[in-house]
Amino acid sequence: MYQTLLTTRYLTSRVIPLIAVAAVALCVALVIVVVSVMSGFLNMVQSSGRTLMGDVIITYGISGIPHYDDLITYFENDPNVHAATPIVDGWGLLRMPYPDSEAKQSETVQVWGIEPTSFAKVTSFDESLQWKTPTDNQRNWLLLDAITSNQENLRENLNDEQWNELVIVVNSASNTMNFESVSLWTDLQELLDESQWKLLLQYDERLHNPNALFQQGLSLSQNGKEGIVSGLHVSEGNERQKDGTYQVIRNDYWWLPRFDGTLTMLPVDAQGGVIEPESIIMPFVNEFQSGVFMIDESRVFVPINVSQRLLHLDTAEIVDVDDPSIIVGIDPARATSILIRGIKGIGADDLQVRIANMYDSFLAGLPNDTLVFPPTRGDPGLTIHTWEEQQRRFTGPVEKERELMRTLFSIVYLVVAALILSIFWSIVFEKTRDIGILRSIGASRGSIVWIFLQYSLVIGIVGSGLGLFIGWFITKNINTIHDAMGNPPLGIAIVAFVLATCIAIYTAIKSRSGQMLPIVLGSLGIITCSGIGALILFIRHIGGLVIWDASVYYFSVIPNQVDWPSSLVTVCGAILFCLLGAVIPAAKAADTDPVKALRHE
Amino acid sequence: MNDTPNNVPILEGRHLKKTYKLGRASVPVLLDASLEIQQGEWMTILGSSGSGKSTVLHLLGGLDRPDEGGGEVLFRGESVWARSNRQINQFRNHEVGFVFQFYHLLPELSVLENTILPAMIGRLGGSTTDSRARGIALLEQFGLGHRLAHRPRELSGGERQRAAIARALINRPSILLADEPTGNLDEETGSGILDVIGQLHKDGLTVVLVTHNMEIASRGECCVHLRHGQIEHPATMA
Repeated sequence: MYQTLLTTRYLTSRVIPLIAVAAVALCVALVIVVVSVMSGFLNMVQSSGRTLMGDVIITYGISGIPHYDDLITYFENDPNVHAATPIVDGWGLLRMPYPDSEAKQSETVQVWGIEPTSFAKVTSFDESLQWKTPTDNQRNWLLLDAITSNQENLRENLNDEQWNELVIVVNSASNTMNFESVSLWTDLQELLDESQWKLLLQYDERLHNPNALFQQGLSLSQNGKEGIVSGLHVSEGNERQKDGTYQVIRNDYWWLPRFDGTLTMLPVDAQGGVIEPESIIMPFVNEFQSGVFMIDESRVFVPINVSQRLLHLDTAEIVDVDDPSIIVGIDPARATSILIRGIKGIGADDLQVRIANMYDSFLAGLPNDTLVFPPTRGDPGLTIHTWEEQQRRFTGPVEKERELMRTLFSIVYLVVAALILSIFWSIVFEKTRDIGILRSIGASRGSIVWIFLQYSLVIGIVGSGLGLFIGWFITKNINTIHDAMGNPPLGIAIVAFVLATCIAIYTAIKSRSGQMLPIVLGSLGIITCSGIGALILFIRHIGGLVIWDASVYYFSVIPNQVDWPSSLVTVCGAILFCLLGAVIPAAKAADTDPVKALRHE
Repeated sequence: MNDTPNNVPILEGRHLKKTYKLGRASVPVLLDASLEIQQGEWMTILGSSGSGKSTVLHLLGGLDRPDEGGGEVLFRGESVWARSNRQINQFRNHEVGFVFQFYHLLPELSVLENTILPAMIGRLGGSTTDSRARGIALLEQFGLGHRLAHRPRELSGGERQRAAIARALINRPSILLADEPTGNLDEETGSGILDVIGQLHKDGLTVVLVTHNMEIASRGECCVHLRHGQIEHPATMA
């Protein structure tokens, strides 16, 4: 009981325990933030992989898997398979609508030909679509486009006065490109009668049915025409804002679903030679955001029949070698990959084994007169991977990096122990006479040890608890903090400079007494505050500080989920190291000769 | 306070030897010091600075151990250093009350907490409430009733020493060992402290006091002189 009393008094009557608590808290917070971000990063890579490709992936390079539709039906008959979908992937060149001049920019893109319905069942395609309904601004642009491309038809339905007025409104809007100052939608609604207005809206489904934008994205088609859904970072018109949202530059002018794109792909023949490039012009129907920067900046989705056609993987006739006019059979369409999602509860590894077996039995069950067989499993080009294996080239290095960071930051624990050791050493030294007094009035060695162990336990628990809170707070708000670092508020700089001035005045007044401590503390305060202010001004001057570059780290946001298991290990480790750091000085204290201790100055 | 059988000293030092090591040098302090303290006696150990007075007191109080084979300390006829560590702690806590020249109060505790600290360590005399009551009574007896919650630094030297005496008495020890209790006080305050000790002795407490001051030594019933590492009893004193 008296140990607790003494521990409490020692803790509350000195500054040094506060320093120790702060040190432990900072070390713990540091480890929690770093490990959480690294783990979150890994989890994002893994989960995005699964979201984008299902549980198991069958791939067969360039020549593709024939009879893939039968194979998918065969897989889907298995109760453990939720859905399967074919993919035809390849690289292509996408001609973008920008800039305004004739020479347009082209992007190299990874083209995924998909069957939208089944693809949405296997992946979270529907959730990844960026545009659900057009914004007011986007609707105005669609309206402007509808007028521009249907001028003749519209002219016939409007009288001269209406037409002249419409031309003025449209020109004004397209010149200013600002629909806040020129309310195109409202002005035209007032100008036209109901039937004319309805006619105008009929030119684009998205004008009279806002949900059409999302539906067109889901079906990869627009008015019966095949369309493109491109990754959000494919277009340079989309700019990520500091709050994580996206804005289309030039006041939505370069909003991709307004335009068409030309996709060019290079088909390869059976010998690996390049055949004539194939191109197709298609409207952009929507954009998607998977959250993985590398995918969002390069991938586009098109209907599977489009990519099959462009890569010459569609259905073809097989002709007689000697007489090409004789058709001997049909070469079925092919898919380069099949993505399979298992039902809830089945592991990817289990599903992989089942799929491999099913693949074999499917091949065995094909009729003998089948002209074109899918590749056997012995074919080195055929792979049946789990999503983890498929993502290994991304997740492997990240896993290693996380372990490396864990190991490196474990050294922080040693820093904590060394810190506590030095703090306790000084505390014990300072309390040597107290120890002598306690021994002279009958305190045992064990009770002396317990006083200092309690002391360290409290510092460990309070420090690591505080560190856990700080770590949680920083991790949760890491994107806000990062954004604030990117554009630090000027107000903080002003407050810092005002504070520095106040401290300077206070220090000047205090320094009259001639004491050194107020001068030293005041100087430190002035340096710190003015340093913060100057740093903020510098960061603003160089246009902000971007530490997390989405193009480097795959993801557009920093992971902000706390890794609780690692955090709890960190907290327990910190408490343990506090105890270890205190136990040596505590034992030294207990062994102090009472007479020597009493004489301690 | 237990009674000691007749003719058995309450505390006895036999042929005590103590050598301190200062780096490589050995400094012998006690060569062969023997003394007996009877129950209820006030013995003063007189000696010049550095003669080893405090060392004798520390050896008698179980705070320090004689050299190997360097005599023994007997409490009620039983060797103190033959006891276990736990028993020695109990001896310091229950049987002996120390009063030091520099008070040695814990600065983080209040006067009352300092006073009852030995009771809390020894868990003697019933509950904490009893200890507090006895601590308050002792402090009031020594004129510190209004200083209970004060920290030692807020007290004068005399008040601190009275608080230290109260702490020494909290567990009702058999013997009070006072190491130059007035050495750090002015004459008047010192005299007041000696009056307090004198009153305690009158009430039956055995007192051993070390000093270099002849006048203080005269307050006790019996005075021995420590010179050249040996105790010179009155009969042998020059």
